[in-house]
Amino acid sequence: MPKLNAEILHLLDQSTTTRVVATADEFGQPYAVASPFLHAGPEGELVHLELLEKSATNRNLLRSLWFDKKISVTLTGADGTSYVIQGKPVKAEISGPVFRHHYQQVRALLGDADLAAVWLIEPEEFVNETYTVQKQEEEERFPFSVHLDRLAVETVKR
Amino acid sequence: MADAVTKKADQDSLQDVVARYPEVPRLIIIKTDVQRRGVFYTERALGVLDETLHQVTGTHIFGTRDGQIEARPESLLLRDGTSIITTPTPLDQNPYLVDLIDGKLWLVDGGEPIEAVDYWPAPDFYALTSSSGIPMKNIVSARPQRLNIFPYRYCTFWNNGKGCTFCDIVCQLKKGKEELQIPARLNPVEVGEVVGEALREPGRFSAVFLTSGSITSGREPFDDEVDYYIEILGEVGKNFRTKKYPSQIIGTAFNERQLERLYKETGLMSYTADIEVLNEDLFNRHCPGKAEWIGYREWKRRLVAAVDIFGPGRVNTGLVAGIELAKPYGFTSEDVALKRVLEEAEELASQGVGTVFIVWSPRPDTLLGDQKNASLDYYIRLAKGLHDLRVKYRLPIGYDDYRHCGNHPDSDLSRLLPY
Repeated sequence: MPKLNAEILHLLDQSTTTRVVATADEFGQPYAVASPFLHAGPEGELVHLELLEKSATNRNLLRSLWFDKKISVTLTGADGTSYVIQGKPVKAEISGPVFRHHYQQVRALLGDADLAAVWLIEPEEFVNETYTVQKQEEEERFPFSVHLDRLAVETVKR
Repeated sequence: MADAVTKKADQDSLQDVVARYPEVPRLIIIKTDVQRRGVFYTERALGVLDETLHQVTGTHIFGTRDGQIEARPESLLLRDGTSIITTPTPLDQNPYLVDLIDGKLWLVDGGEPIEAVDYWPAPDFYALTSSSGIPMKNIVSARPQRLNIFPYRYCTFWNNGKGCTFCDIVCQLKKGKEELQIPARLNPVEVGEVVGEALREPGRFSAVFLTSGSITSGREPFDDEVDYYIEILGEVGKNFRTKKYPSQIIGTAFNERQLERLYKETGLMSYTADIEVLNEDLFNRHCPGKAEWIGYREWKRRLVAAVDIFGPGRVNTGLVAGIELAKPYGFTSEDVALKRVLEEAEELASQGVGTVFIVWSPRPDTLLGDQKNASLDYYIRLAKGLHDLRVKYRLPIGYDDYRHCGNHPDSDLSRLLPY
Protein backbone atom coordinates (compact mmCIF):
# COMPACT_ATOMS: atom_id res chain seq x y z
CA MET A 1 0.00 0.00 0.00
CA PRO A 2 1.58 3.34 -1.02
CA LYS A 3 1.90 5.93 1.70
CA LEU A 4 -0.29 8.99 1.41
CA ASN A 5 1.97 12.02 0.88
CA ALA A 6 2.14 15.04 3.15
CA GLU A 7 -0.10 17.14 0.89
CA ILE A 8 -2.86 14.54 0.99
CA LEU A 9 -2.58 14.16 4.75
CA HIS A 10 -2.74 17.93 5.05
CA LEU A 11 -5.88 18.01 2.89
CA LEU A 12 -7.46 15.35 5.05
CA ASP A 13 -6.65 17.40 8.13
CA GLN A 14 -8.39 20.54 6.87
CA SER A 15 -12.06 20.96 7.67
CA THR A 16 -12.50 23.06 4.50
CA THR A 17 -11.47 20.21 2.20
CA THR A 18 -14.19 18.81 -0.05
CA ARG A 19 -14.15 14.99 0.02
CA VAL A 20 -15.91 12.88 -2.58
CA VAL A 21 -16.13 9.08 -2.80
CA ALA A 22 -16.93 7.65 -6.22
CA THR A 23 -18.05 4.04 -6.61
CA ALA A 24 -19.65 2.00 -9.36
CA ASP A 25 -22.70 -0.23 -9.41
CA GLU A 26 -22.92 -3.71 -10.91
CA PHE A 27 -23.28 -2.25 -14.41
CA GLY A 28 -20.28 0.04 -13.98
CA GLN A 29 -22.46 3.14 -13.58
CA PRO A 30 -20.53 5.71 -11.53
CA TYR A 31 -21.93 7.17 -8.34
CA ALA A 32 -20.12 9.97 -6.49
CA VAL A 33 -21.12 11.38 -3.11
CA ALA A 34 -19.69 13.78 -0.58
CA SER A 35 -17.96 12.05 2.31
CA PRO A 36 -17.69 14.75 4.97
CA PHE A 37 -16.14 12.46 7.60
CA LEU A 38 -13.44 10.99 5.35
CA HIS A 39 -10.10 10.96 7.13
CA ALA A 40 -6.78 9.17 7.30
CA GLY A 41 -6.64 6.05 9.44
CA PRO A 42 -3.78 5.03 11.73
CA GLU A 43 -2.21 2.71 9.17
CA GLY A 44 -2.38 5.04 6.20
CA GLU A 45 -5.76 3.89 4.97
CA LEU A 46 -8.65 6.19 4.14
CA VAL A 47 -11.62 5.92 6.48
CA HIS A 48 -15.10 6.58 5.10
CA LEU A 49 -18.05 6.70 7.47
CA GLU A 50 -21.14 5.37 5.76
CA LEU A 51 -24.28 6.48 7.51
CA LEU A 52 -26.89 4.49 5.61
CA GLU A 53 -27.00 0.73 5.22
CA LYS A 54 -28.91 0.68 1.94
CA SER A 55 -27.27 3.69 0.29
CA ALA A 56 -25.90 3.15 -3.20
CA THR A 57 -22.44 3.97 -1.91
CA ASN A 58 -22.58 1.42 0.89
CA ARG A 59 -23.71 -1.29 -1.48
CA ASN A 60 -21.14 -0.29 -4.08
CA LEU A 61 -18.34 -0.32 -1.51
CA LEU A 62 -19.39 -3.80 -0.48
CA ARG A 63 -19.47 -4.89 -4.11
CA SER A 64 -15.95 -3.50 -4.54
CA LEU A 65 -14.70 -5.36 -1.49
CA TRP A 66 -16.38 -8.59 -2.56
CA PHE A 67 -15.28 -8.49 -6.18
CA ASP A 68 -11.96 -6.69 -5.87
CA LYS A 69 -12.95 -3.51 -7.73
CA LYS A 70 -11.41 -0.09 -7.28
CA ILE A 71 -13.13 3.02 -6.05
CA SER A 72 -11.98 6.61 -6.22
CA VAL A 73 -11.69 9.42 -3.69
CA THR A 74 -11.29 13.08 -4.64
CA LEU A 75 -10.01 15.70 -2.20
CA THR A 76 -10.07 19.39 -3.03
CA GLY A 77 -8.72 22.02 -0.67
CA ALA A 78 -9.79 25.63 -0.30
CA ASP A 79 -6.62 26.73 -2.12
CA GLY A 80 -7.39 24.52 -5.12
CA THR A 81 -5.02 21.71 -4.20
CA SER A 82 -6.66 18.52 -5.35
CA TYR A 83 -5.86 14.82 -5.36
CA VAL A 84 -7.61 11.82 -6.83
CA ILE A 85 -6.86 8.63 -4.95
CA GLN A 86 -7.73 5.21 -6.28
CA GLY A 87 -7.99 2.35 -3.87
CA LYS A 88 -9.96 -0.62 -2.67
CA PRO A 89 -12.25 -1.01 0.32
CA VAL A 90 -10.66 -3.72 2.44
CA LYS A 91 -12.70 -3.77 5.62
CA ALA A 92 -16.11 -2.75 6.95
CA GLU A 93 -16.17 -2.31 10.71
CA ILE A 94 -19.72 -2.85 11.97
CA SER A 95 -19.14 -3.51 15.65
CA GLY A 96 -16.47 -3.00 18.28
CA PRO A 97 -14.45 -0.08 19.61
CA VAL A 98 -13.61 1.57 16.26
CA PHE A 99 -17.23 1.48 15.17
CA ARG A 100 -18.42 2.76 18.51
CA HIS A 101 -15.97 5.67 18.45
CA HIS A 102 -17.18 6.84 15.05
CA TYR A 103 -20.82 6.21 15.90
CA GLN A 104 -20.50 8.60 18.81
CA GLN A 105 -18.56 11.09 16.69
CA VAL A 106 -21.28 11.14 14.01
CA ARG A 107 -24.06 11.56 16.54
CA ALA A 108 -22.20 14.31 18.35
CA LEU A 109 -22.05 16.25 15.10
CA LEU A 110 -25.34 15.36 13.43
CA GLY A 111 -27.70 14.66 16.30
CA ASP A 112 -30.04 11.74 15.69
CA ALA A 113 -27.97 10.03 12.99
CA ASP A 114 -26.96 6.42 12.53
CA LEU A 115 -23.81 4.76 11.26
CA ALA A 116 -23.93 1.71 9.00
CA ALA A 117 -20.24 0.92 8.58
CA VAL A 118 -16.76 2.30 8.97
CA TRP A 119 -15.07 1.55 5.67
CA LEU A 120 -11.32 1.20 5.47
CA ILE A 121 -10.00 1.97 1.99
CA GLU A 122 -6.46 1.07 1.04
CA PRO A 123 -5.01 3.62 -1.38
CA GLU A 124 -3.31 2.09 -4.39
CA GLU A 125 -2.33 5.15 -6.41
CA PHE A 126 -2.94 8.85 -6.33
CA VAL A 127 -2.73 11.70 -8.81
CA ASN A 128 -2.16 15.37 -8.08
CA GLU A 129 -5.16 16.88 -9.84
CA THR A 130 -4.44 20.44 -8.74
CA TYR A 131 -5.20 22.55 -11.79
CA THR A 132 -1.94 24.45 -11.86
CA VAL A 133 0.04 21.23 -11.62
CA GLN A 134 -1.98 19.49 -14.31
CA LYS A 135 -1.91 22.55 -16.57
CA GLN A 136 1.85 22.72 -16.46
CA GLU A 137 2.19 19.04 -17.19
CA GLU A 138 -0.27 19.17 -20.06
CA GLU A 139 1.44 22.11 -21.67
CA GLU A 140 4.80 20.38 -21.44
CA ARG A 141 3.65 17.00 -22.70
CA PHE A 142 0.97 18.01 -25.19
CA PRO A 143 2.05 21.27 -26.83
CA PHE A 144 -0.45 20.82 -29.67
CA SER A 145 -3.47 20.95 -27.33
CA VAL A 146 -3.29 24.66 -26.75
CA HIS A 147 -5.68 27.16 -28.37
CA LEU A 148 -3.70 29.59 -30.46
CA ASP A 149 -5.35 32.73 -29.12
CA ARG A 150 -3.63 31.98 -25.80
CA LEU A 151 -0.30 32.22 -27.59
CA ALA A 152 -1.16 35.25 -29.64
CA VAL A 153 0.42 38.66 -28.89
CA GLU A 154 -1.91 41.44 -27.88
CA THR A 155 -0.66 43.80 -30.53
CA VAL A 156 1.09 42.73 -33.65
CA LYS A 157 4.12 44.73 -34.49
CA ARG A 158 4.19 45.38 -38.22
CA MET B 1 -25.09 -39.06 -13.40
CA ALA B 2 -26.51 -37.10 -10.49
CA ASP B 3 -24.57 -39.29 -8.08
CA ALA B 4 -21.42 -38.61 -10.04
CA VAL B 5 -22.03 -34.87 -9.70
CA THR B 6 -22.59 -35.24 -5.98
CA LYS B 7 -19.40 -37.26 -5.56
CA LYS B 8 -17.41 -34.67 -7.47
CA ALA B 9 -18.97 -31.85 -5.43
CA ASP B 10 -17.95 -33.70 -2.26
CA GLN B 11 -14.32 -33.54 -3.30
CA ASP B 12 -14.28 -29.87 -4.32
CA SER B 13 -11.84 -27.61 -2.62
CA LEU B 14 -12.73 -24.12 -1.52
CA GLN B 15 -10.77 -22.81 -4.49
CA ASP B 16 -12.74 -25.02 -6.91
CA VAL B 17 -16.03 -23.60 -5.68
CA VAL B 18 -14.74 -20.01 -5.66
CA ALA B 19 -13.64 -20.45 -9.27
CA ARG B 20 -16.95 -22.05 -10.28
CA TYR B 21 -19.10 -19.22 -8.90
CA PRO B 22 -17.38 -15.91 -9.73
CA GLU B 23 -20.68 -14.12 -9.10
CA VAL B 24 -20.69 -15.26 -5.45
CA PRO B 25 -18.34 -13.36 -3.13
CA ARG B 26 -15.35 -15.41 -2.02
CA LEU B 27 -15.96 -14.28 1.56
CA ILE B 28 -19.46 -15.74 1.57
CA ILE B 29 -18.17 -19.01 0.16
CA ILE B 30 -15.53 -19.07 2.88
CA LYS B 31 -18.13 -18.37 5.54
CA THR B 32 -20.32 -21.18 4.23
CA ASP B 33 -17.46 -23.65 4.16
CA VAL B 34 -16.37 -22.73 7.67
CA GLN B 35 -19.93 -23.27 8.87
CA ARG B 36 -19.97 -26.56 7.00
CA ARG B 37 -16.68 -27.86 8.38
CA GLY B 38 -16.48 -26.03 11.72
CA VAL B 39 -13.40 -24.56 13.36
CA PHE B 40 -10.65 -25.61 15.70
CA TYR B 41 -8.97 -22.92 17.77
CA THR B 42 -5.23 -23.37 18.23
CA GLU B 43 -3.66 -22.69 21.61
CA ARG B 44 -2.10 -19.56 20.13
CA ALA B 45 -5.51 -18.33 18.99
CA LEU B 46 -7.05 -19.07 22.37
CA GLY B 47 -4.11 -17.31 23.99
CA VAL B 48 -5.30 -13.93 22.71
CA LEU B 49 -8.92 -14.49 23.75
CA ASP B 50 -9.68 -11.84 26.33
CA GLU B 51 -13.08 -11.87 28.04
CA THR B 52 -12.90 -8.14 28.58
CA LEU B 53 -12.54 -7.54 24.83
CA HIS B 54 -14.07 -10.58 23.15
CA GLN B 55 -17.26 -12.51 23.43
CA VAL B 56 -16.76 -15.96 24.84
CA THR B 57 -19.35 -18.69 24.47
CA GLY B 58 -22.59 -17.58 26.06
CA THR B 59 -26.09 -18.84 26.53
CA HIS B 60 -26.18 -21.28 23.65
CA ILE B 61 -29.53 -22.90 23.23
CA PHE B 62 -27.85 -25.53 21.02
CA GLY B 63 -24.60 -27.43 21.53
CA THR B 64 -21.20 -27.58 19.86
CA ARG B 65 -19.81 -30.07 17.41
CA ASP B 66 -17.21 -31.24 19.89
CA GLY B 67 -19.79 -31.55 22.66
CA GLN B 68 -17.77 -29.38 25.06
CA ILE B 69 -18.88 -26.39 27.08
CA GLU B 70 -15.82 -24.22 27.68
CA ALA B 71 -14.91 -20.56 27.48
CA ARG B 72 -14.06 -20.22 23.81
CA PRO B 73 -14.60 -17.51 21.21
CA GLU B 74 -18.30 -17.06 20.57
CA SER B 75 -17.71 -16.75 16.83
CA LEU B 76 -15.91 -14.87 14.10
CA LEU B 77 -16.23 -11.76 11.97
CA LEU B 78 -14.91 -11.46 8.43
CA ARG B 79 -13.59 -8.16 7.11
CA ASP B 80 -16.82 -7.36 5.23
CA GLY B 81 -18.79 -7.48 8.49
CA THR B 82 -20.07 -10.98 7.81
CA SER B 83 -20.43 -13.19 10.84
CA ILE B 84 -19.38 -16.80 10.76
CA ILE B 85 -21.52 -18.56 13.30
CA THR B 86 -19.79 -21.83 13.91
CA THR B 87 -18.72 -24.04 16.75
CA PRO B 88 -15.53 -25.81 17.81
CA THR B 89 -15.14 -29.07 15.95
CA PRO B 90 -12.84 -32.04 16.60
CA LEU B 91 -9.72 -32.11 14.44
CA ASP B 92 -10.57 -35.50 12.99
CA GLN B 93 -13.56 -33.90 11.26
CA ASN B 94 -11.27 -31.67 9.19
CA PRO B 95 -12.31 -28.23 10.45
CA TYR B 96 -10.64 -24.96 9.53
CA LEU B 97 -8.05 -23.86 12.03
CA VAL B 98 -8.20 -20.46 13.66
CA ASP B 99 -4.60 -19.53 14.31
CA LEU B 100 -2.54 -16.52 15.29
CA ILE B 101 -0.14 -15.39 12.56
CA ASP B 102 2.03 -12.29 13.06
CA GLY B 103 -0.27 -11.14 15.82
CA LYS B 104 -3.46 -11.46 13.78
CA LEU B 105 -6.13 -14.14 13.71
CA TRP B 106 -6.47 -16.14 10.50
CA LEU B 107 -8.56 -18.95 9.15
CA VAL B 108 -6.08 -21.59 8.05
CA ASP B 109 -6.70 -24.60 5.82
CA GLY B 110 -4.09 -27.15 4.81
CA GLY B 111 -1.42 -24.99 6.38
CA GLU B 112 -2.37 -21.97 4.24
CA PRO B 113 -3.80 -18.75 5.69
CA ILE B 114 -7.15 -18.22 3.96
CA GLU B 115 -8.61 -15.06 5.43
CA ALA B 116 -8.13 -12.76 8.42
CA VAL B 117 -10.85 -12.89 11.08
CA ASP B 118 -11.75 -11.10 14.27
CA TYR B 119 -13.37 -12.44 17.40
CA TRP B 120 -16.73 -10.92 18.16
CA PRO B 121 -16.32 -7.88 20.41
CA ALA B 122 -17.65 -8.22 23.96
CA PRO B 123 -20.63 -6.03 24.79
CA ASP B 124 -20.37 -3.85 27.87
CA PHE B 125 -23.19 -5.62 29.72
CA TYR B 126 -21.35 -8.96 29.69
CA ALA B 127 -19.30 -7.69 32.63
CA LEU B 128 -22.38 -6.97 34.76
CA THR B 129 -24.77 -8.95 36.92
CA SER B 130 -28.52 -8.53 37.16
CA SER B 131 -30.28 -7.22 40.24
CA SER B 132 -30.82 -10.82 41.38
CA GLY B 133 -27.13 -11.58 41.02
CA ILE B 134 -27.15 -13.57 37.77
CA PRO B 135 -24.43 -12.71 35.23
CA MET B 136 -26.27 -10.68 32.60
CA LYS B 137 -24.66 -12.69 29.82
CA ASN B 138 -26.50 -15.75 31.14
CA ILE B 139 -29.80 -13.97 30.63
CA VAL B 140 -29.29 -12.21 27.30
CA SER B 141 -26.47 -12.94 24.88
CA ALA B 142 -25.16 -10.98 21.95
CA ARG B 143 -24.12 -11.16 18.37
CA PRO B 144 -22.18 -8.28 16.82
CA GLN B 145 -25.40 -6.28 16.43
CA ARG B 146 -28.13 -8.41 17.94
CA LEU B 147 -29.46 -9.16 21.40
CA ASN B 148 -30.36 -12.84 21.80
CA ILE B 149 -33.01 -13.85 24.26
CA PHE B 150 -33.67 -17.53 24.80
CA PRO B 151 -36.59 -17.35 27.25
CA TYR B 152 -37.26 -21.05 27.61
CA ARG B 153 -34.54 -23.58 27.03
CA TYR B 154 -36.72 -26.67 26.90
CA CYS B 155 -38.88 -27.91 24.03
CA THR B 156 -42.01 -29.80 24.97
CA PHE B 157 -41.93 -31.79 21.75
CA TRP B 158 -39.39 -33.89 23.62
CA ASN B 159 -41.96 -34.86 26.27
CA ASN B 160 -43.03 -37.83 24.18
CA GLY B 161 -39.71 -38.22 22.41
CA LYS B 162 -40.70 -36.24 19.34
CA GLY B 163 -37.94 -33.67 19.25
CA CYS B 164 -36.31 -32.82 15.94
CA THR B 165 -33.65 -35.27 14.81
CA PHE B 166 -30.96 -32.58 14.35
CA CYS B 167 -31.67 -30.80 17.65
CA ASP B 168 -29.87 -31.04 20.99
CA ILE B 169 -31.78 -28.36 22.90
CA VAL B 170 -32.70 -30.58 25.84
CA CYS B 171 -29.23 -32.03 26.21
CA GLN B 172 -27.77 -28.53 26.04
CA LEU B 173 -30.27 -27.32 28.63
CA LYS B 174 -28.95 -29.88 31.09
CA LYS B 175 -25.35 -28.94 30.37
CA GLY B 176 -26.11 -25.23 30.56
CA LYS B 177 -27.94 -25.62 33.84
CA GLU B 178 -25.26 -27.73 35.46
CA GLU B 179 -22.11 -26.16 34.04
CA LEU B 180 -23.04 -22.54 33.43
CA GLN B 181 -25.91 -21.99 35.87
CA ILE B 182 -28.06 -20.61 33.09
CA PRO B 183 -31.73 -20.40 34.13
CA ALA B 184 -33.97 -22.71 32.12
CA ARG B 185 -36.78 -20.18 32.14
CA LEU B 186 -35.98 -16.49 32.18
CA ASN B 187 -37.66 -13.94 34.39
CA PRO B 188 -39.24 -11.39 31.99
CA VAL B 189 -38.52 -8.46 34.32
CA GLU B 190 -34.89 -9.46 34.49
CA VAL B 191 -34.72 -9.76 30.68
CA GLY B 192 -36.06 -6.22 30.44
CA GLU B 193 -33.44 -5.05 32.92
CA VAL B 194 -30.59 -6.61 30.91
CA VAL B 195 -31.85 -5.22 27.60
CA GLY B 196 -32.03 -1.78 29.19
CA GLU B 197 -28.42 -2.12 30.28
CA ALA B 198 -27.36 -3.38 26.83
CA LEU B 199 -28.92 -0.33 25.16
CA ARG B 200 -26.60 1.93 27.11
CA GLU B 201 -23.80 0.89 24.78
CA PRO B 202 -23.85 3.32 21.85
CA GLY B 203 -24.18 1.83 18.39
CA ARG B 204 -23.89 -1.77 19.48
CA PHE B 205 -27.29 -3.33 18.87
CA SER B 206 -29.73 -3.09 16.01
CA ALA B 207 -32.13 -5.93 16.80
CA VAL B 208 -33.81 -7.88 19.57
CA PHE B 209 -34.23 -11.57 18.90
CA LEU B 210 -36.15 -14.22 20.78
CA THR B 211 -36.39 -17.93 20.39
CA SER B 212 -37.22 -20.77 22.69
CA GLY B 213 -38.30 -24.34 22.56
CA SER B 214 -41.93 -24.94 21.65
CA ILE B 215 -44.42 -24.93 24.52
CA THR B 216 -47.45 -26.97 23.55
CA SER B 217 -49.56 -26.17 26.60
CA GLY B 218 -52.34 -23.60 26.92
CA ARG B 219 -56.04 -23.16 26.26
CA GLU B 220 -55.20 -23.74 22.64
CA PRO B 221 -51.89 -25.45 21.86
CA PHE B 222 -48.99 -22.99 22.14
CA ASP B 223 -51.00 -20.32 23.95
CA ASP B 224 -48.54 -20.56 26.83
CA GLU B 225 -45.64 -20.02 24.46
CA VAL B 226 -47.34 -16.94 22.99
CA ASP B 227 -48.22 -15.61 26.45
CA TYR B 228 -44.61 -15.97 27.51
CA TYR B 229 -43.28 -14.20 24.44
CA ILE B 230 -45.76 -11.38 24.99
CA GLU B 231 -44.69 -11.06 28.59
CA ILE B 232 -41.00 -10.94 27.66
CA LEU B 233 -41.53 -8.54 24.76
CA GLY B 234 -43.61 -6.32 27.05
CA GLU B 235 -40.72 -5.99 29.48
CA VAL B 236 -38.23 -5.49 26.63
CA GLY B 237 -40.53 -2.89 25.07
CA LYS B 238 -40.42 -0.74 28.20
CA ASN B 239 -36.91 0.22 27.14
CA PHE B 240 -38.07 1.83 23.88
CA ARG B 241 -39.86 5.08 23.17
CA THR B 242 -41.49 3.61 20.06
CA LYS B 243 -44.17 0.92 20.22
CA LYS B 244 -42.42 -1.12 17.53
CA TYR B 245 -38.68 -1.80 17.57
CA PRO B 246 -36.51 -3.94 15.26
CA SER B 247 -37.17 -7.44 16.50
CA GLN B 248 -37.70 -11.01 15.42
CA ILE B 249 -38.89 -14.20 17.01
CA ILE B 250 -38.37 -17.68 15.79
CA GLY B 251 -41.43 -19.33 17.25
CA THR B 252 -43.70 -22.23 16.56
CA ALA B 253 -46.13 -21.77 13.66
CA PHE B 254 -48.90 -20.00 15.53
CA ASN B 255 -52.50 -19.67 14.41
CA GLU B 256 -53.94 -16.34 13.27
CA ARG B 257 -55.34 -15.43 16.67
CA GLN B 258 -51.99 -16.02 18.31
CA LEU B 259 -50.14 -14.13 15.56
CA GLU B 260 -52.51 -11.17 15.88
CA ARG B 261 -51.84 -11.05 19.61
CA LEU B 262 -48.09 -11.15 19.08
CA TYR B 263 -48.25 -8.34 16.57
CA LYS B 264 -50.76 -6.09 18.31
CA GLU B 265 -49.73 -6.55 21.92
CA THR B 266 -45.97 -6.23 21.50
CA GLY B 267 -43.28 -4.31 19.65
CA LEU B 268 -42.48 -7.32 17.49
CA MET B 269 -41.77 -6.40 13.86
CA SER B 270 -41.04 -9.72 12.16
CA TYR B 271 -41.94 -13.34 12.52
CA THR B 272 -40.15 -16.57 11.70
CA ALA B 273 -41.40 -20.11 12.10
CA ASP B 274 -38.77 -22.61 11.03
CA ILE B 275 -40.11 -25.44 8.92
CA GLU B 276 -36.56 -26.88 8.96
CA VAL B 277 -36.91 -28.97 5.78
CA LEU B 278 -38.99 -28.29 2.69
CA ASN B 279 -40.44 -31.70 2.00
CA GLU B 280 -43.49 -33.14 3.69
CA ASP B 281 -42.20 -36.67 4.13
CA LEU B 282 -38.84 -35.49 5.48
CA PHE B 283 -40.54 -32.95 7.74
CA ASN B 284 -42.62 -35.74 9.24
CA ARG B 285 -39.50 -37.80 9.84
CA HIS B 286 -37.16 -35.07 11.10
CA CYS B 287 -39.67 -32.92 12.98
CA PRO B 288 -42.15 -35.41 14.44
CA GLY B 289 -43.28 -33.02 17.18
CA LYS B 290 -44.05 -30.25 14.72
CA ALA B 291 -45.78 -32.80 12.51
CA GLU B 292 -47.85 -34.13 15.40
CA TRP B 293 -49.01 -30.79 16.78
CA ILE B 294 -49.35 -28.73 13.61
CA GLY B 295 -48.50 -30.65 10.45
CA TYR B 296 -46.55 -29.69 7.37
CA ARG B 297 -49.30 -28.14 5.29
CA GLU B 298 -50.77 -26.26 8.23
CA TRP B 299 -47.28 -24.97 9.11
CA LYS B 300 -46.99 -23.51 5.65
CA ARG B 301 -50.51 -22.13 5.70
CA ARG B 302 -49.81 -20.34 8.98
CA LEU B 303 -46.64 -18.81 7.53
CA VAL B 304 -48.64 -17.39 4.66
CA ALA B 305 -51.32 -16.16 7.07
CA ALA B 306 -48.64 -14.35 9.06
CA VAL B 307 -47.84 -12.20 6.03
CA ASP B 308 -51.27 -10.56 6.32
CA ILE B 309 -50.47 -9.66 9.90
CA PHE B 310 -46.78 -8.74 9.87
CA GLY B 311 -46.63 -7.57 6.27
CA PRO B 312 -44.80 -8.73 3.15
CA GLY B 313 -41.09 -9.10 3.69
CA ARG B 314 -41.55 -9.50 7.45
CA VAL B 315 -42.20 -13.24 7.59
CA ASN B 316 -39.89 -16.10 6.79
CA THR B 317 -39.00 -19.66 7.56
CA GLY B 318 -35.69 -21.34 8.17
CA LEU B 319 -34.13 -24.53 6.90
CA VAL B 320 -31.49 -26.70 8.49
CA ALA B 321 -29.96 -27.22 5.10
CA GLY B 322 -28.44 -30.59 4.53
CA ILE B 323 -30.83 -32.72 6.55
CA GLU B 324 -32.82 -33.23 3.36
CA LEU B 325 -29.87 -35.39 2.28
CA ALA B 326 -29.47 -37.29 5.56
CA LYS B 327 -29.57 -41.05 5.36
CA PRO B 328 -31.55 -43.19 5.04
CA TYR B 329 -34.64 -41.24 3.99
CA GLY B 330 -33.12 -38.14 2.38
CA PHE B 331 -32.68 -37.30 -1.26
CA THR B 332 -29.87 -39.33 -2.74
CA SER B 333 -28.78 -36.59 -5.13
CA GLU B 334 -27.94 -32.99 -4.32
CA ASP B 335 -29.32 -31.89 -7.69
CA VAL B 336 -32.72 -33.38 -6.95
CA ALA B 337 -32.70 -32.04 -3.39
CA LEU B 338 -31.90 -28.54 -4.60
CA LYS B 339 -34.62 -28.59 -7.23
CA ARG B 340 -37.27 -29.81 -4.81
CA VAL B 341 -36.28 -27.43 -2.02
CA LEU B 342 -36.25 -24.41 -4.32
CA GLU B 343 -39.61 -25.37 -5.83
CA GLU B 344 -41.22 -25.33 -2.40
CA ALA B 345 -39.35 -22.18 -1.38
CA GLU B 346 -40.71 -20.49 -4.49
CA GLU B 347 -44.25 -21.52 -3.62
CA LEU B 348 -43.77 -19.73 -0.28
CA ALA B 349 -41.97 -16.74 -1.79
CA SER B 350 -44.79 -16.18 -4.26
CA GLN B 351 -47.06 -15.73 -1.22
CA GLY B 352 -44.75 -13.32 0.58
CA VAL B 353 -42.87 -15.77 2.79
CA GLY B 354 -39.10 -15.76 2.57
CA THR B 355 -36.84 -18.73 3.18
CA VAL B 356 -33.38 -18.67 4.72
CA PHE B 357 -31.08 -21.51 5.61
CA ILE B 358 -28.45 -22.37 8.14
CA VAL B 359 -25.77 -24.89 7.34
CA TRP B 360 -26.60 -28.08 9.20
CA SER B 361 -23.78 -28.95 11.56
CA PRO B 362 -24.28 -32.46 12.88
CA ARG B 363 -23.78 -32.32 16.63
CA PRO B 364 -22.94 -35.31 18.81
CA ASP B 365 -26.00 -35.12 21.06
CA THR B 366 -28.46 -35.36 18.17
CA LEU B 367 -29.96 -38.35 16.40
CA LEU B 368 -28.14 -37.40 13.19
CA GLY B 369 -24.88 -36.64 14.98
CA ASP B 370 -22.84 -39.22 13.10
CA GLN B 371 -23.79 -38.01 9.63
CA LYS B 372 -22.16 -35.52 7.27
CA ASN B 373 -23.65 -32.36 5.94
CA ALA B 374 -23.89 -31.48 2.24
CA SER B 375 -21.16 -30.33 -0.15
CA LEU B 376 -20.00 -26.73 -0.34
CA ASP B 377 -21.22 -26.64 -3.92
CA TYR B 378 -24.71 -27.55 -2.74
CA TYR B 379 -24.80 -24.84 -0.10
CA ILE B 380 -23.63 -22.19 -2.56
CA ARG B 381 -26.24 -23.20 -5.11
CA LEU B 382 -28.88 -23.13 -2.38
CA ALA B 383 -27.76 -19.66 -1.24
CA LYS B 384 -27.92 -18.38 -4.80
CA GLY B 385 -31.30 -20.01 -5.38
CA LEU B 386 -32.91 -18.51 -2.27
CA HIS B 387 -31.37 -15.12 -2.99
CA ASP B 388 -32.69 -15.26 -6.56
CA LEU B 389 -36.19 -15.95 -5.25
CA ARG B 390 -35.88 -12.92 -2.99
CA VAL B 391 -35.04 -10.86 -6.06
CA LYS B 392 -37.78 -12.40 -8.21
CA TYR B 393 -40.50 -11.75 -5.64
CA ARG B 394 -38.90 -8.58 -4.26
CA LEU B 395 -38.86 -9.83 -0.68
CA PRO B 396 -36.83 -7.69 1.74
CA ILE B 397 -34.80 -9.55 4.34
CA GLY B 398 -33.66 -6.61 6.47
CA TYR B 399 -34.82 -8.31 9.68
CA ASP B 400 -32.77 -11.46 9.09
CA ASP B 401 -29.66 -10.21 7.29
CA TYR B 402 -25.95 -10.12 8.16
CA ARG B 403 -26.61 -7.37 10.68
CA HIS B 404 -29.68 -8.82 12.38
CA CYS B 405 -28.71 -12.47 12.32
CA GLY B 406 -25.57 -13.38 10.41
CA ASN B 407 -26.28 -17.09 10.12
CA HIS B 408 -27.62 -17.25 6.57
CA PRO B 409 -25.33 -17.27 3.52
CA ASP B 410 -28.35 -16.57 1.30
CA SER B 411 -29.32 -13.38 3.10
CA ASP B 412 -25.66 -12.28 3.08
CA LEU B 413 -25.96 -12.19 -0.70
CA SER B 414 -28.96 -9.89 -0.37
CA ARG B 415 -26.84 -7.13 1.17
CA LEU B 416 -26.39 -5.71 -2.31
CA LEU B 417 -30.13 -5.37 -2.91
CA PRO B 418 -31.58 -1.86 -2.68
CA TYR B 419 -34.54 -3.13 -0.62
